[in-house]
Amino acid sequence: MMKKIKSWLCKESVSGVIFSLPFLIGLLLFLIVPLGMSLYYAFCEYSILSPAEFIGLKNFDTMFHDEMFFKSLGVTVFYTVVSVPLKLTFALCVALLFQKTTRAAGIYRAVYYLPSIIGGSVAVAVLWKRMFAVEGTINQILHSFGVQNTIAWLGDTRTAIWTLILLSVWQFGSSMLIFLSALKQIPASYYEASTVDGAGKANQFFRITLPLLTPTIFFNLVMQMISGLLAYTQCYIITNGKPMNSTLFYMVHMYNQTFIYYKAGYGAALAWMLILITGVFTAVLFLTKKKWVYDGGD
Amino acid sequence: MKKKSVALMLSLMMTAGLLAGCGNDAGKDTGNAGADAGGGAATDAGAPADTQEPADAADAGDADADAEKEPITLSVFWWGSQLRNERTQKILDMYAEDHPYITFDGQFSDDYWTRLTTLAAGHTMPDVVQMVYIYMPQYVEKGMLVDLTPYIEDGTIDVSNVQESILETAHFGDGIYAICNGVNVSALFYNKTLLDEAGIEIHDYMTIEEFKDICREVHEKTGYKTSLSYGALTNDFLPYLLRGEGKHLWGDGALGVDSAEDLVPFFQLYEDGIKEGWHIDPSIYVERNRGQVEEDPMVYGSSPENMSWCGFYASNQLVAMQSAAPEGMDIALTTFPTSDAKASLWLNPSQFFCVSTDSEHPDEAAALINYITNSVECNNVLLGERGVPISSVVAEAIAENQSPDDQEVIAYINNVVAPNCSPIDPPNPPSSSEIFGVLDGLTEKVIYGELTAQEAAEQFFEQANAILAE
Repeated sequence: MMKKIKSWLCKESVSGVIFSLPFLIGLLLFLIVPLGMSLYYAFCEYSILSPAEFIGLKNFDTMFHDEMFFKSLGVTVFYTVVSVPLKLTFALCVALLFQKTTRAAGIYRAVYYLPSIIGGSVAVAVLWKRMFAVEGTINQILHSFGVQNTIAWLGDTRTAIWTLILLSVWQFGSSMLIFLSALKQIPASYYEASTVDGAGKANQFFRITLPLLTPTIFFNLVMQMISGLLAYTQCYIITNGKPMNSTLFYMVHMYNQTFIYYKAGYGAALAWMLILITGVFTAVLFLTKKKWVYDGGD
Repeated sequence: MKKKSVALMLSLMMTAGLLAGCGNDAGKDTGNAGADAGGGAATDAGAPADTQEPADAADAGDADADAEKEPITLSVFWWGSQLRNERTQKILDMYAEDHPYITFDGQFSDDYWTRLTTLAAGHTMPDVVQMVYIYMPQYVEKGMLVDLTPYIEDGTIDVSNVQESILETAHFGDGIYAICNGVNVSALFYNKTLLDEAGIEIHDYMTIEEFKDICREVHEKTGYKTSLSYGALTNDFLPYLLRGEGKHLWGDGALGVDSAEDLVPFFQLYEDGIKEGWHIDPSIYVERNRGQVEEDPMVYGSSPENMSWCGFYASNQLVAMQSAAPEGMDIALTTFPTSDAKASLWLNPSQFFCVSTDSEHPDEAAALINYITNSVECNNVLLGERGVPISSVVAEAIAENQSPDDQEVIAYINNVVAPNCSPIDPPNPPSSSEIFGVLDGLTEKVIYGELTAQEAAEQFFEQANAILAE
C-alpha cells in the first residue's frame, strides 16, 4: 500500500503538481479569487461596510455619465503617450553610450538603473514633491541661475503633469538594460561590413541598429505602456490629482471612488474597464507590429 | 528516488506553511500571549484590583478567571497630531502598567478612514476605535459598534458626572454606541502676535464683512495672506455659515437649501480673496496635507507671501497648533465669521471612543474607555488635547495642571460659545464624503479663477442634489 502511494506521488505529473502547489495556492488565493470577486462587485452596489447588492450594468452606465471618468482617462492616456516614447528614447540613448565596455561600465549601469528600482517608491515620490515645491530645490537652482519668478510646478495645471512625466522618464533603467542586452546581440560583423562599404555612424544606426532593435522596442513599448496606464503611487503621493484634477490618474480616480467615497462596486467596474482599455491599446500595438517590427527577415 | 522524496517532503512543508500563513492571526496572538504571560499573569492577580474602578469588580464576578487573567492584546486605533499620538501612547502605557495582563497595540494613521473601512470590511476592526460624530451612524447601522448601554448600567463605564446632552450625541436607536472624549467647538485660530504688532484687533462673533475687512487690512499692513481652505474644519464652515442664515446643509434626500443663491456667500469669500489678492496662492494646497497643524501656512512658511494669519480649526487643536508654531508666535482663537453667531455655533463632541463588534475583549475595552473618561491621572496626561473632558469632576481636577493655552480653550468654550450657541445638526448622510469631495473640487476651481462664485454655487447645488438623490 505505502509503496503504491509512494510510486503515485513520485509520478512525474503528480510531483510536478505538488511542486507548483505553493505557487498555485498563492495564485488562487491572492489573484484568481480576488479577481473573480472584483468581477462580481463590478455589477454590484457595494459600499464596503454593507454587503454587495447586484445591480446589473448600472455601474457601467454611471461610468459613461461620469465626467471624472473621461477626465482621468484623458490624463492617463496623455501621460502614457508622452512619457513612454520619451522614456524609451532616453533609455536607448543611454544604452548606446554604454555599448562600449569600459572598466567603469558596470558601475555606471548600476547607477543608472537605480532610479528604476527605487523610482516607484513612496520615498522618491515624497522627494519629488519636495523638489518641485515652491520653495524646493528646483526653484532654488533656478534662482541661483538668475531666474526671478517663482514657479509653482505642482500648483499650476500646465506644469503639474510634467513633473510626473519627468519622474517616469527618470526611471528609464529597466528599458535601458533590455536595450543594452539587445544591442550586444547585434553581430559586430554587420558594422564591420558596412564600414568597409563606407557607411557612416548615423547610417549604421538607422540602417542596422534601429531595425534590429525593433522587436526590443516593441517589447519595451508594450510593457511600459501597460505600466503607464496603471501608474498610481507617484500621482497619489505627489499631487493626488490636484490641481483641479489636471493630474487625476485613472487609478487614483478608482481609489477615490472605492476608498474615499465607499463605492467599491463602481471602483471594481472602473478596474475592469481599465483592463479592457489596456487590452485594446495592446491589441492596437500588436496590429501595427507587422508594419514596423523586423522579424528576422524571412 | 531518494532525492525525489526529499524534495517532495520539502514542497509539502512549504505548502503547509503557506496554508498555515493564511490562518495565522490566532496562532500569533497566542504566541504573544505566551511570551507576556511570564511577567504578566503572576504579578497581576493582586495588584490592580484596588486601583481599578468598577470594571474589575464586574470582572471579578466572572468567577476565578480574575485570579489568573489570560494575557490579552487590546488594539486601539486613533488619528491625530504628533502631540496626541505621544499623549495617547503614554496613557496606554500607564494603563498597561496597572493591568500587566494587557498588552496594547496602539495604531494611529493619517489615512484613518480608509484604513478603518477596510478593516471593518474584513471584520478585523481594532478593539477600541476613535470615531467622529458625522460618520458614526454608518458604523452603527452596519452593526460594527457595540452598544455600551449595559456597561453604563452596570457601572463599568461611569457617567455620573457627565452631562446628559453630551452622552446623547452617541445615542442611536436604543443604544449608546460611543463615549465622547471631550467637547470642542469650531474656532478660527489667528496669529495674535502678528495682529498685535499691526495694531489690528479681533473681536468674537465677527460677520463675514468684518472678516473680509480684516483679511484686507492684514494683507495691506503685514503682507500676510489668508488661507481659507487648509484647516481641518474647512468642511464645517459651509454648514456653519448656512446655520447663521437659518438654513441647514443637509435636508431630506437633498440639500437643505432652497436654491444655489444660498450657497453663493460661501464661494464669494474665496472669489473675493483671490480677486483682491489676500487669499494665499492655491498651489500650497497641492504641496501640503490638509489639516496637519504642523504644515499649516499659519505656522509653516518662509515669508508673509506664503503664510496665513488665520486657520479654520477645532478648539482642541489649539494646543497642537501652538506647539507647532515658531518661538514667540502666540496663537489665539475666536469664532468663525457668520451673520448670526448664536444660530451658527454649536458645542461639538470632539471625537469618541467606541468598542467594535469585532473585539474579543469588549469588557476590557469598555474598562479602558472608562479609564479615559474618569481617571484624573489619565487626563492629567491628555490635558484636554482631545477636547474638554466630559466629566465635570475630571475637568475641574485637571484645570490647575493645564497650560495657559488649554485654559484659553476652556475659557473660549465656557465664555464665548456655551452661552451663545444652538443644538448640533443631525449627523451627515453617508454620501457626505463624496459631496465634500465635490465641494473641494469647486472651491479649488474658484481659487484658480476657473469659476465664479455664482457658477460654483450652481454646480454644487446641482451635483450635490444629484448625489443625495441616488
